[in-house]
Amino acid sequence: MILDGSIQKKIKRENLAKLFIVLAIITSGLVAILAIPGLLTSFLLAFVITYLFKPIIVYLERKGVRQIFAILLPFLVLGLVISLASHYIANLITEQATSFQTDLPKYINGFADTLKKPTNALSKALLPYTKVDVGERAASWMQNYATGMIQKIPDWISQFLSTLLLAPFLAFFMLKDGLTIRRSLFSLIPNNLFEVALNLSSQINKQLGQFIRARLLEALIVGLVVWLGLYSIGTPYTTLLALFAALTNLIPYLGPIIGAIPGIVIAFVNHDSFGLIALVASAYLLAQLIDIVFVIPLVVARIVNLHPVTVVIVIVVGSQIMGILGMIISVPVASILKLIFTEFYNHVVDIRS
Amino acid sequence: MNYLWDNIFRRQERQQDVKSILSNNFLFRNLNKRELSLAQTLVHIRRYRTGEAIFRQNESGVGMYIIGKGRVEISIFDDSTGSKQNEKEIVVTTLEPGDFFGEISLVEETSIRSATARAAEDCVLVGFFKSDLVEILDRSPEAGIKIIFRLAEVLGRRLKETTDKISQLKKEIRMIGEMQEVTRDPRRIHPEKN
Repeated sequence: MILDGSIQKKIKRENLAKLFIVLAIITSGLVAILAIPGLLTSFLLAFVITYLFKPIIVYLERKGVRQIFAILLPFLVLGLVISLASHYIANLITEQATSFQTDLPKYINGFADTLKKPTNALSKALLPYTKVDVGERAASWMQNYATGMIQKIPDWISQFLSTLLLAPFLAFFMLKDGLTIRRSLFSLIPNNLFEVALNLSSQINKQLGQFIRARLLEALIVGLVVWLGLYSIGTPYTTLLALFAALTNLIPYLGPIIGAIPGIVIAFVNHDSFGLIALVASAYLLAQLIDIVFVIPLVVARIVNLHPVTVVIVIVVGSQIMGILGMIISVPVASILKLIFTEFYNHVVDIRS
Repeated sequence: MNYLWDNIFRRQERQQDVKSILSNNFLFRNLNKRELSLAQTLVHIRRYRTGEAIFRQNESGVGMYIIGKGRVEISIFDDSTGSKQNEKEIVVTTLEPGDFFGEISLVEETSIRSATARAAEDCVLVGFFKSDLVEILDRSPEAGIKIIFRLAEVLGRRLKETTDKISQLKKEIRMIGEMQEVTRDPRRIHPEKN
């Protein structure tokens, strides 16, 4: 078929206009999410809920349950479990957090005392040149940091609650109307990019779902192993420490180290025997071993298509831009960007060849 | 920018259209009402202007299209000229409303389009893609299997047609070869002349 030049131009113009509209919609959506405080966290949490619930909903639908009930059921069960468990767990965590807050000066001073011996020895050796007071400096820094954190807790709680309330709502509508919204958005995509975009979106969807499920499973296993280990040793604040280890484990590479610090410091400051400190450390080590030997090779490694050096760089960049949240989301975001770049590059190569 | 307004005012009518297109299509004909509704929520409606490419030969493909309105030309590049610049599109067939094309990419791991599909007139197509088939298989395996059986039947039929065509071509080539031999050696026709 020989195409009239003016028709070709018209098609090109229309495709460009459609592309512009799609990009404008995506950009304004992203700007709104980033500009409104807490909305990004709500959306991320909603995505996590969506990807966690999707297999359950699919399973229920397969069994013949109508879609709306299949969506409602996991939300109802989760609500019930949270309200029942919160009574016990929230009390336990509040109790441990309050006790930890009371004991905090003791740990800080204990830590400073522990540092005193080597510091004094160092001071004696360097006396003619300089005065070394690492212990005091560390204690004052930790005191300021801890006080700052405790002062921020009410703000965090209110932010956490609004995020926690908004996320399930968003997740419910993502699950219920996600396909319709996706289809409407796709209807705006120009014909020449439609199949590329569709393929890309299903790949991202698959990768993101697998990634979120794998990371949460990893965090759960690490949290459980740490909890079991610390509980059997008899370390105080077991639940709080296990929760912290599970959450920090979401940060690749650095997370496990950050997660182990509080437990080891507590054992250290409590003047526990060396054997006991080693046991605490080995509980964290065991969790990491299980993670590295079983969970990562079997579940996570297949999903992320990034080189380890790229992962480290991406985490550093993420931490610079958005702090801890940036460290957690940087790897999936980089993975998605790589997917988008590869797909469009292949498309351009396809067209040129 | 008609498509923006179309989305708002003609949704109901279009949904009915899509349902009837799907229920009349060979792949979806065995689905019951509920399964058909599920398929309807997944497919994509695409509009193409006369002459616009739906997909091009050698591009990677992810699914098939059913013609709702208009005609589609399927063409391949004629590379017999040897130079890329002189390549021409040869129209292989023209498809009518109700026909479908590109279905092989629903089952291929990495599918490359073997021909170019172009709108011969303004077209409305219903797109059904690999991710949609996977979604149906996940949510309603019975419906998914019905579609896959039909798809296998279509691909089997196409394979049989291709095999028949190859056999026919082989026969023709053999006959041409024999005729060439005869023209080279006339004694084979009139052996008594020896």
